[in-house]
Amino acid sequence: MRIRILGNLVILGATVVLSYGMQVSKPHYADLTAPIPADGAMHDTIRARSFDVRLDKVVFARALKTNQFGRQKLLTTSGLWAVVTTSLTATAASTTVADGTWQGPTGLRYHQTERLGYRQDMPPHGVDPGLEKRGLFVFEIPPDQIRGASLLIAARQFGPLDAQARISLDGVPTSADGQPADVLPEYDLDAPPPQGKS
Amino acid sequence: MFRTARSKVQTWITAGAGTIAALFVASLMGAFGALPAHAPPQLPLDTAIDAGRWRVQPVRAYISHARTYGVLMKPGQKALVLEADLTNRTAQSDKAYFNVFKPDGLALPDPMPMIALTRDATLTPELHPGMTERMAYVWPLAGDAIVPASLSFGVTAEIFKSRDNLYGMPGWFNPYRLGTITLPVADVPGTGS
Repeated sequence: MRIRILGNLVILGATVVLSYGMQVSKPHYADLTAPIPADGAMHDTIRARSFDVRLDKVVFARALKTNQFGRQKLLTTSGLWAVVTTSLTATAASTTVADGTWQGPTGLRYHQTERLGYRQDMPPHGVDPGLEKRGLFVFEIPPDQIRGASLLIAARQFGPLDAQARISLDGVPTSADGQPADVLPEYDLDAPPPQGKS
Repeated sequence: MFRTARSKVQTWITAGAGTIAALFVASLMGAFGALPAHAPPQLPLDTAIDAGRWRVQPVRAYISHARTYGVLMKPGQKALVLEADLTNRTAQSDKAYFNVFKPDGLALPDPMPMIALTRDATLTPELHPGMTERMAYVWPLAGDAIVPASLSFGVTAEIFKSRDNLYGMPGWFNPYRLGTITLPVADVPGTGS
């Protein structure tokens, strides 16, 4: 009789412990439905589900020169402008690539800038299979978010369970204090891109 | 001795249960609604204020009669402008700063302000983590609206939940009034910028 009660208590306790353990170790919904990363490095072609992306060049500048509604505009920032040049191709069907995020070394996420308005070479990029297209992503970042950063590129901003290219930016030259080695005082977005591979 | 202790405990439990039941019924019937509400405090102007996902530092407030940071006025309207330095305290770019400030005691034709980056008059850009930017909140007012020389603004903050109750997603919820700031309001007759 007594053993039976004890046994029941042990089973009850074990159930409580097991249930509690399952509750605290339950994966976060945000993690379960997170985008699926496709990792790569600079200058590699990374195959995401609906598009291929290759990071060609990262340029840092203190100001951006752009043409808005026929007027020259000089955009300044409290940090640095990072202009990322990528080559994009669709894999199977024509699609768009709309979302770029600069993820700093500690996980801070800097979404692409909205201050440039609509431009042909800014996201969303319409891409087609077999036709390589130059696509820009422009970010505002503090200078201490460059070393150890990575670039996240996805077809949509909220794309649960869709592929997300995650490109490590270790190839960006930085000096000993983490500052970028080369910062232009001004970058002209409307200047023609240099020909050939860079 | 054991028996008296036991009856004592029984008495305590009975009396306690009665008290708790009485308090419970009273609170259900709203007996505590008459308690004075805790008034939101007056916030300092010289230090930055942590308001939920934003760190804010009000700079100045004024009445503008012309186009201010690219925000156009309708004819016969003027605008109340509040300039503040905003810093994103979260880990990702965000633009949920519409309800941070609200002027008290003014009849607003549209409670939603137009918000512009003072740097280049971009309307409602996303602000990035840790990058402080000066933003201008512009509320259009009727041309004959009377604005006191010293105006108070309510500051609204939110709380962070690592899991919300519906999807278990992290987010900012439950806006509450953090406090009040009071600023002198100058009248700028000329053009803004």
